[in-house]
Amino acid sequence: MSRVSSRASGTSTKRLAEDGDICPVCKSSRYLNPNMRFLVNPECYHRMCESCVDRIFSHGPAPCPIAGCKRTLRKARFRSQTFEDLKVEREVDIRRRVARVMNKTESDFETLADYNNYLETVETVTWNLILKIDLEATERRLRLWEEAQKAELESLYSSASRRVLSTADQDLQSDTQRVILKKSGVQRKTVSHSSSAADTPEPTAAGNADTGFRFHGLKKRVAPEPEKPFDPYGGWSLEPQYYVVQPDYDVDFITGAKTDIHHLAGGYDLRDFYSRALCEAFSGFGVFVQDEIIARENGVVERVRTETQAAASVTVGVRDVNMDDVF
Amino acid sequence: MKLTEDDLYRASTQFKHWSFTPSQLAAQRQKTNIQASERVKAAVARQRAQRAKHFDTASASESERNGTPVPTDRQVDCLTVAEEKKLVDTFCEKAIDLGGFFKFPIEVTATGIQFLRRFYLFNSPMTYEPQTISRSAMFVANKTEGHHLTLEKYAAGFPKATTEQVLAPEYLIVQALRFNFDIRHPFRALKGGHLDMIEMARGNITPLPSNPEPALDIHSSMLKLPRKPNGPETNMTVNDLEKRITDAYSHASHILKTAALLTDAYFLYTPSQIWLSAHLLADEPLTLFYLSAKLPSSSPNYPKILATLRSCADLLSSHHSFSSPTTTPAEKQARDKKEKEEVQALIKKLRHCRDPDKMDLVKLNQAQKRDAVDAGGLEESKAKRRKLEREGYQKEADDFWGPELPRRENGAKAG
Repeated sequence: MSRVSSRASGTSTKRLAEDGDICPVCKSSRYLNPNMRFLVNPECYHRMCESCVDRIFSHGPAPCPIAGCKRTLRKARFRSQTFEDLKVEREVDIRRRVARVMNKTESDFETLADYNNYLETVETVTWNLILKIDLEATERRLRLWEEAQKAELESLYSSASRRVLSTADQDLQSDTQRVILKKSGVQRKTVSHSSSAADTPEPTAAGNADTGFRFHGLKKRVAPEPEKPFDPYGGWSLEPQYYVVQPDYDVDFITGAKTDIHHLAGGYDLRDFYSRALCEAFSGFGVFVQDEIIARENGVVERVRTETQAAASVTVGVRDVNMDDVF
Repeated sequence: MKLTEDDLYRASTQFKHWSFTPSQLAAQRQKTNIQASERVKAAVARQRAQRAKHFDTASASESERNGTPVPTDRQVDCLTVAEEKKLVDTFCEKAIDLGGFFKFPIEVTATGIQFLRRFYLFNSPMTYEPQTISRSAMFVANKTEGHHLTLEKYAAGFPKATTEQVLAPEYLIVQALRFNFDIRHPFRALKGGHLDMIEMARGNITPLPSNPEPALDIHSSMLKLPRKPNGPETNMTVNDLEKRITDAYSHASHILKTAALLTDAYFLYTPSQIWLSAHLLADEPLTLFYLSAKLPSSSPNYPKILATLRSCADLLSSHHSFSSPTTTPAEKQARDKKEKEEVQALIKKLRHCRDPDKMDLVKLNQAQKRDAVDAGGLEESKAKRRKLEREGYQKEADDFWGPELPRRENGAKAG
């Protein structure tokens, strides 16, 4: 589009540069090189064409070629811009960075007011970075906060894994045990290393360590419960009163199934049959239908008295019977 | 959290929705009968009024000339509750034969019969004819019990039944069952009890938590069990005892496959009680002994359970298929013949009091489906409207997504 209009109005280089069709470094224009791509570096957000990036930065970091910009750029960090406005591009980058570090949610706070205060702090930090106010101090606080969070998480998880280890089977092979111990020793060392790097030997316990920010009403992080083994019955178990299942039975109608390949191939286990048959033999043994139904009906009558008529008709399963008339 | 065997049964739909007291059962049958007969009477009256109107306009003068009086309509003679029950019982028995004919496993037949009994608890044979319903109920039972066979094969087994006729009342039945497909049968339970008894006879008994009696004592007293109630003590070997248990098992199994299915036992008792009462009928001393091994007679539940089992046993033995040693074959034959005549009369009577609205289930089923045209004028307009609506939707969709792509051969020709 810009190409057509520029050709129509004559080649005004200034206009072209504003439109972004001339590389500010090598001054080559899209008119001569239709495949030209522009890249930016989030360090200083100066645009330049791909060939310039290749030319200047292939041999390692170099200062930005734009006049007045002394920043050292690396080739790996050049990328094509997402937004047309570079200011927006920069703001989005900053916001992304801040959001990665300051990632608390409402559930992490005691009250909504505390959460709102936190959000305000985050917004202040973001705008400080965008508008370059107190840049040094803000960056430092942000870095401290990130490190503190990381240290907290690590100590949580290492303690959780230690708990899992202590509850794990004690009769492991001796060498595997040694390996695991060694591993956890390494983990502990890295934890202590990272906390020493933050110049705070015991950040959470001491309480006076500089974590960059201090938020009122922030809940303490708790380690997630270790996962329990899956129980398909949700904790329920059958406790038979009237029978004890024997390991094996010998009756003529099951002797065939014991050796029959058709039964065995599918993984059929006769013990399942034993326990099921015995359970069925006594399930309902002590259920007196008459008494229990009368009791149930009385309960329903009581409920009808207390509740509304409509609710009761829903609870009484017997009332919905005449629904056959669909025709 | 612990569950007992009884809690497991209490969680079943059979206990929740399909267990009744005898009075509830009778009241429900009465209610069903009254509703059905009212409906039949209303429907017949309506039909007659329509016919009379037609008659009046067309040939009133003619009939006057001929001197034949317009036939005065009698009141419809509806079935009573007892007659209805008898009919249903008859068709349940026929269902056993049906299962035998198709060589279905007993679970399938038994489920089909219980479906039928449950269906006719809330529906009357006057409304829906038992023959068609029993056919479909059996087919549904095949599916629920995982014994699959094709519809064509099944329908071919009947002299005059189409696949549509088998399928037409299916949804009706399933709805009347309130979508409770699970039926707890006593067959596997009987097997479990048998296994347990055999082990007991061989002397390997682990004492129950509730009844810590030494195993040896049980075994020795088991070998001395009398043959008949209050009979003299016997001295059996383990083999004899095993044979006795096996005999009792086969007798009880026979009772479960006939009398238990054909009475209201499933509505009134739990499967555990049903098999124990069948076993009680087969060998009373043995069953009582087994019970006392499971539950000490000092327990407060013991007399209650025994009373329940005895009443269930009475119910089972009251059925005519139960052959007690006192009835002679001639007597039985005479009774069967009488029964057959009664049933014939009933079927004849049923023919006169069918609900005319529900005669053709296939048609009714089709009318429910999409684009039913062969129904009345109102239905026709409805069908037309539906068709127009659907075309409208299609057009809307085409406007948005574009029309359907042309077929490949057309494209090839064009190219």
